[in-house]
Amino acid sequence: MQSWRRRKSLWLALSASWLLLVLLGGFSLLRLALPPRPRPGASQGWPRWLDAELLQSFSQPGELPEDAVSPPQAPHGGSCNWESCFDTSKCRGDGLKVFVYPAVGTISETHRRILASIEGSRFYTFSPAGACLLLLLSLDAQTGECSSMPLQWNRGRNHLVLRLHPAPCPRTFQLGQAMVAEASPTVDSFRPGFDVALPFLPEAHPLRGGAPGQLRQHSPQPGVALLALEEERGGWRTADTGSSACPWDGRCEQDPGPGQTQRQETLPNATFCLISGHRPEAASRFLQALQVLAALQEMSPARVLALRQQTQFLWDAYFSSVEKVIHTTLEVIQDRIFGTSAHPSLLWNSPPGALLALSTFSTSPQDFPFYYLQQGSRPEGRFSALIWVGPPGQPPLKLIQAVAGSQHCAQILVLWSNERPLPSRWPETAVPLTVIDGHRKVSDRFYPYSTIRTDAILSLDARSSLSTSEVDFAFLVWQSFPERMVGFLTSSHFWDEAHGGWGYTAERTNEFSMVLTTAAFYHRYYHTLFTHSLPKALRTLADEAPTCVDVLMNFIVAAVTKLPPIKVPYGKQRQEAAPLAPGGPGPRPKPPAPAPDCINQIAAAFGHMPLLSSRLRLDPVLFKDPVSVQRKKYRSLEKP
Amino acid sequence: MCASVKYNIRGPALIPRMKTKHRIYYITLFSIVLLGLIATGMFQFWPHSIESSNDWNVEKRSIRDVPVVRLPADSPIPERGDLSCRMHTCFDVYRCGFNPKNKIKVYIYALKKYVDDFGVSVSNTISREYNELLMAISDSDYYTDDINRACLFVPSIDVLNQNTLRIKETAQAMAQLSRWDRGTNHLLFNMLPGGPPDYNTALDVPRDRALLAGGGFSTWTYRQGYDVSIPVYSPLSAEVDLPEKGPGPRQYFLLSSQVGLHPEYREDLEALQVKHGESVLVLDKCTNLSEGVLSVRKRCHKHQVFDYPQVLQEATFCVVLRGARLGQAVLSDVLQAGCVPVVIADSYILPFSEVLDWKRASVVVPEEKMSDVYSILQSIPQRQIEEMQRQARWFWEAYFQSIKAIALATLQIINDRIYPYAAISYEEWNDPPAVKWGSVSNPLFLPLIPPQSQGFTAIVLTYDRVESLFRVITEVSKVPSLSKLLVVWNNQNKNPPEDSLWPKIRVPLKVVRTAENKLSNRFFPYDEIETEAVLAIDDDIIMLTSDELQFGYEYFNYLYTYKMPGDIKNWVDAHMNCEDIAMNFLVANVTGKAVIKVTPRKKFKCPECTAIDGLSLDQTHMVERSECINKFASVFGTMPLKVVEHRADPVLYKDDFPEKLKSFPNIGSL
Repeated sequence: MQSWRRRKSLWLALSASWLLLVLLGGFSLLRLALPPRPRPGASQGWPRWLDAELLQSFSQPGELPEDAVSPPQAPHGGSCNWESCFDTSKCRGDGLKVFVYPAVGTISETHRRILASIEGSRFYTFSPAGACLLLLLSLDAQTGECSSMPLQWNRGRNHLVLRLHPAPCPRTFQLGQAMVAEASPTVDSFRPGFDVALPFLPEAHPLRGGAPGQLRQHSPQPGVALLALEEERGGWRTADTGSSACPWDGRCEQDPGPGQTQRQETLPNATFCLISGHRPEAASRFLQALQVLAALQEMSPARVLALRQQTQFLWDAYFSSVEKVIHTTLEVIQDRIFGTSAHPSLLWNSPPGALLALSTFSTSPQDFPFYYLQQGSRPEGRFSALIWVGPPGQPPLKLIQAVAGSQHCAQILVLWSNERPLPSRWPETAVPLTVIDGHRKVSDRFYPYSTIRTDAILSLDARSSLSTSEVDFAFLVWQSFPERMVGFLTSSHFWDEAHGGWGYTAERTNEFSMVLTTAAFYHRYYHTLFTHSLPKALRTLADEAPTCVDVLMNFIVAAVTKLPPIKVPYGKQRQEAAPLAPGGPGPRPKPPAPAPDCINQIAAAFGHMPLLSSRLRLDPVLFKDPVSVQRKKYRSLEKP
Repeated sequence: MCASVKYNIRGPALIPRMKTKHRIYYITLFSIVLLGLIATGMFQFWPHSIESSNDWNVEKRSIRDVPVVRLPADSPIPERGDLSCRMHTCFDVYRCGFNPKNKIKVYIYALKKYVDDFGVSVSNTISREYNELLMAISDSDYYTDDINRACLFVPSIDVLNQNTLRIKETAQAMAQLSRWDRGTNHLLFNMLPGGPPDYNTALDVPRDRALLAGGGFSTWTYRQGYDVSIPVYSPLSAEVDLPEKGPGPRQYFLLSSQVGLHPEYREDLEALQVKHGESVLVLDKCTNLSEGVLSVRKRCHKHQVFDYPQVLQEATFCVVLRGARLGQAVLSDVLQAGCVPVVIADSYILPFSEVLDWKRASVVVPEEKMSDVYSILQSIPQRQIEEMQRQARWFWEAYFQSIKAIALATLQIINDRIYPYAAISYEEWNDPPAVKWGSVSNPLFLPLIPPQSQGFTAIVLTYDRVESLFRVITEVSKVPSLSKLLVVWNNQNKNPPEDSLWPKIRVPLKVVRTAENKLSNRFFPYDEIETEAVLAIDDDIIMLTSDELQFGYEYFNYLYTYKMPGDIKNWVDAHMNCEDIAMNFLVANVTGKAVIKVTPRKKFKCPECTAIDGLSLDQTHMVERSECINKFASVFGTMPLKVVEHRADPVLYKDDFPEKLKSFPNIGSL
C-alpha cells in the first residue's frame, strides 16, 4: 500500500514535469512555425536600409576645401550688426568711455539728474574725441526740447540713443548706424546683438537706490493665489490651483470660474503673474491663463522657489532704479567691446550681478568671493596682511611678529604713509615682508596692489594689537564666509529721530552693523571694487574725512552681499584699554566719531541704507565653556 | 489525494530507502525529464541561433526599391522663405497639444525618389549622413509614426548639401508632401547652403514657413528664435579617434589649417607668422604627395608634412576663417582636438548659439582686426585658456561629434521653445559634467533675512512621555518669538491627551497624529508650518531657557521628505536613530555650507530618561550613529559635512559687561 502510494506520488511528479516540458517546448515550436507579423500599431521607425553602407557622404572630400571666391560682402542695406556698424578701435585701454551730449536749453529735473549720474560714473569722459561711445539722451518731450542732430553725429557711428520712455519725439533725423536702447522694441526693428532692449519704466521710477524686492521669505505663504492675470483696465485677476484647467488645444470652452479681480493699486499676491504683450479681449486671455496654470502646476516647488529668488535678484541688480538700468545698458555694450574679457554668464546671472562683479578684476568666477560654491572651489588657505602706518609712524614691530606667527600668513605688506623716513631695518619674519612707500591718501589703503596675491586680506593699522591665535581663528571664520568682512571691533548705525538722519555709534551694544577695517579680514576683490566702482566723489570724501573710510568700506560690502559683517572675539583687556572712540586702537587721535554727516552723505550717494545689523559673534566652539583648558584649541583668546 | 500530496512534499527523503532497481529506474526517468527541461530552456533563451526575431520588426529593404514619384513641371512651388517668421507667427503650437511629458513628437515622411517629367532624378535619393540623422530621430523619444499626433514634420528629402540638388524641383517635391501646408511645422536640415558664385548663407530652396536647421547662417539670413544654427558635420569626427588631451600650453600658440583660403586672408596669416616666428603655424594643402596618400588628411608648411587633424592638438588656438561659406567643418575638427577656435567670420551665427555660450569656448575676432589677433589672444589669462580648451572639447563631445548629437540637440532646442517652462537650463547645456558634479547650487541663494516679526514654529516629536512633553511646551512657549507650536504625536496605539489637559499657552498649539511611528515624521513639511524658521526639539529636553534655539528651515523639511535619497529614509525609520544626522547631511549637501552651532548650555538634562527609555543615551546608540555616518556618506557619494571651529554667540556673551544691558542674559544660566 505504502509503496503503491509512493509510486503514485512519483508518477504524479513525473507527469507534471512532462506536461511542463511539452508546454514550453510546444510554445517555442509554435513560434518557429508562425513568424509574428509586425503588429499594425507598433512603431516601425525609419527603415534600416540593406545598402546603407553604400550611401555616399553629403560632402565629397574634394568638395570641402572650396576654392574661395572673394568673401561675400554682407548686404548693408539699412541694417546693422556689431561688426559692421561699431568701430571698436576707439575703445582701447580701460574699457568703455562715454561722452554724453550736454542738454540744450531748459531741461527737466530728471534729465539733469540722469546726466549727473552718468557724469559721476566710471564710464564718463568729458571729451568727445576720447570717447568710444557717444550717448544721446532722448528723454522727455514735456519740455518740448527734442534733440536735434548732434555735432559729431557721423551717420550715427558709435552712438547710442537712449530712450527711457516710449519715444514722444518725432524722428528729426535718420538714426543710421546708431544703436538704440529703448523699451519694448518691435521684432522688426530690433537688431539682435546691436540694439539694447530696456525694461518699460514708469515715470516715477526712482533714479537711484530703489526699493528692494518684496520677497520676504523663501517658503511660499499659504493662501496665496497661484496665478494673477493682468487685465485690460490695469487690474489683476487671480486664479488658484483649484481652478479648472484646460486641455492644450487652443479651444478651451470651460467656464473661467470665479476669479477675483483686484484693484490696480495693489499688486496681486500671487506666485505667478501672467503678462501678455498684445491685448486681445480679456475673456479669452483668462482662458489662456488657465492653460498656463495647468503647465505651472507641474512645476516642482524647488523650481518655483529658484524662479522667485531669481526674479528678486534680477530686480535688485538691474531694474530697481533708472541709474541701474543705464549702467546695465553701458555694461552690456562694454561686454561686446571686451569680447573675451567680458563677464561670463554666471556673473550676469547670479548675485551680486554684473554691475558689482567687475570683469576688469577677473573673468574667472573662482577669483571672486561670491561663487566658490557654484564652482566647487574653496578660498585659498593663506592671507596677506596689509598694515597701514600712518602718523606718527612707529614701525609696528610687535604686530608684525604676531601676524607673521600665524600659519596661514603668506606675506606682510606695510603701507608707509607718513612724513617720517622709512626705517632701514625691519624685523626678521618667516614670511616675505614688503614695504610700499609714498601713499598719503587714506583711500590708498584700499588700492588693489598687484603685490597682493592671496584671496584674503587682513587689513591692519599700525596701532592695532592682535595675538596670533586671534588671527588664526578669525581667518578660519573668514574661510567659511569669504564674501563677508570678519572683524574684531564693531560699531553700528542707527536712525536718529532728533536729527532726521543716520547716526553712528561705536559703543558696545547688543547689535552691530560695521566692523572696523583697522583689524578685519576680507576678500581682495573689495579693493578693486572700492577703487574702481565707487563714484569719485565718495573716494574724495574718504580722503578728506579719513574716519569715513571704514563706513564706506562697510557700505560697499553690505551693498554687495546684503548681509551684515561678522564679529569674532577680541582680547578684552585691550578692548577696554583703548580709549579712542570710535575705533579702539584706531589711528585717529581725534576722539569724535566720524562726522555724522559722513554716513548720511554716503547713504545719499548709495540711494539707500545697505547696512544690516547682526547680533552674532562667532566664538571658538568651546569658548569660555567650563571644560578643561587642555581641550581648547584657542586658549589665549580667553585670557583676561 | 490528500495523502499523496503529503508524501510528495516529503518525497526526496524516501527515495534512498527504495530498492536499488527502482532507484535506477527512477533516476533515469528524472534525468530524461531534466535534460528535456534544460534543452527547452536553452531553446527559449537562445533565440538567435534558430531565429532572428528582432528583424521582423524592421523592414529590410534596399534604397533602390523606394517608390518613385514623378513631379510634373508645372506642380506648385512654395514661396521663398519668409524672413519675418517667428515661432508665434509661423509655427502652429497647437499641433503640439497632444504631446505628453512636454516632449514634441516628430514625424518622418517615407523615403521617395523624385524624378521630373523626363525621368531624370531631382537629387541623390539620400546621403549617408541624412540617413543617419533620420535614423537618430526615429530611435529617439521624439519620434512618432502617427502623422496626426505629430507636432513637427521632417521630410526625407535630403537637402544637406545644396550643390547636389535641383533647386526648383526639390521645392516642388516639398510642396506635395501630405501635410506641407505652406511648410508650417516642417523642419529642414541643411549644412552646405548656397552655391557659386555668391554663396548664400541659407538654403536657396524655396521653403515658405518651414524651419531651417542650417549650418553657416549669417545675421542677415538667420531668423532669431525660429531657425536653428547647426554645425557643419565633419566626417573626420567618426574616422579619426583623437584622445582627449589635457589643457595646458602646447607647441604652437596659433595655427591655421584651412586650405583654399582667400589670398587676402592667407597674406594676413603669413604676415603673422613672419612677425611671431615659431609660435604661429600656417598650413596649406600639400602639392607633392606620393600616390595613395589621402590629401584630406595631410597639411604642409613649406616642405614639412603634418597629419591632419592630429596637428590641431599641437596648438592652443586654431583659426577658423570664413571660406566661400561661413560655416566650416574645420570648426568641428578644432573642437575635437581641444584647440580653442578663433572664429574670424563676421556676422556668422555660431552653431547652437541660441543655447551654447560660445564665449566660454571660443574667441571671436572681427575680420578687420585680423592683424591684431596675436595680441588679442595673448591678453587672455592662462587659466581662462585652459577653461576654454576643456569647454571646446566638451562642446564637441556633446553637440558635434556625431550626426545623432547634432539632430538631437536641434530637436531639444525646438522642444525648449515650445515648452519654455520645462526647458533645459543654461547650466545643463553649457557646464561640462565635471563642473556639474563639483558645484553646489544652494537652493536658498538669495540673501534674505527673514523678518523678525514672523517668529518661528517649534516642532516637538513625542511618543508617550506626556509629562515631560508638557514641561517642554510650557518652557518653549515663554519664548517671545515663538509663533506656533506643533506636536507630532508619533504613537499610534495611544490617543493624545484631551484638549483640556494640555498646558495653556499664548500661541496656537496643534497636534498632528502620524500614521506610523517614524522618526522622519519630525521633518515632514506640515502645512501648519507658516514661518521660515523651525525649531525641532525632543520631548526629553526640558531644560531650555527661552533664549536657546536651534533653527532649521522649513524648506529643508520639504527636502527631507521629497528629495532625500530613498534608502536613507528607510534606514532611519528602521533603526529609530540618526534622523538628525541625515538632516545634517542633507543640508550640507544642498547648501555646501556648514551648520551653525549656537551658544551651548552645560548639559541638556533629562530627568525622566532611563537607559531604556532615553533613546539617545544608550551605549550602542553611539556605535550605531557612527555607522549611520558611514552609510549616509556612501549614499550621498561624498562627505558633504563640513567641519568648522566656530559657534554663534550673542555679541556680548560672557563679556565683562553689565548683565542687564545684554540682550540674552539667560543663556547658560541653568
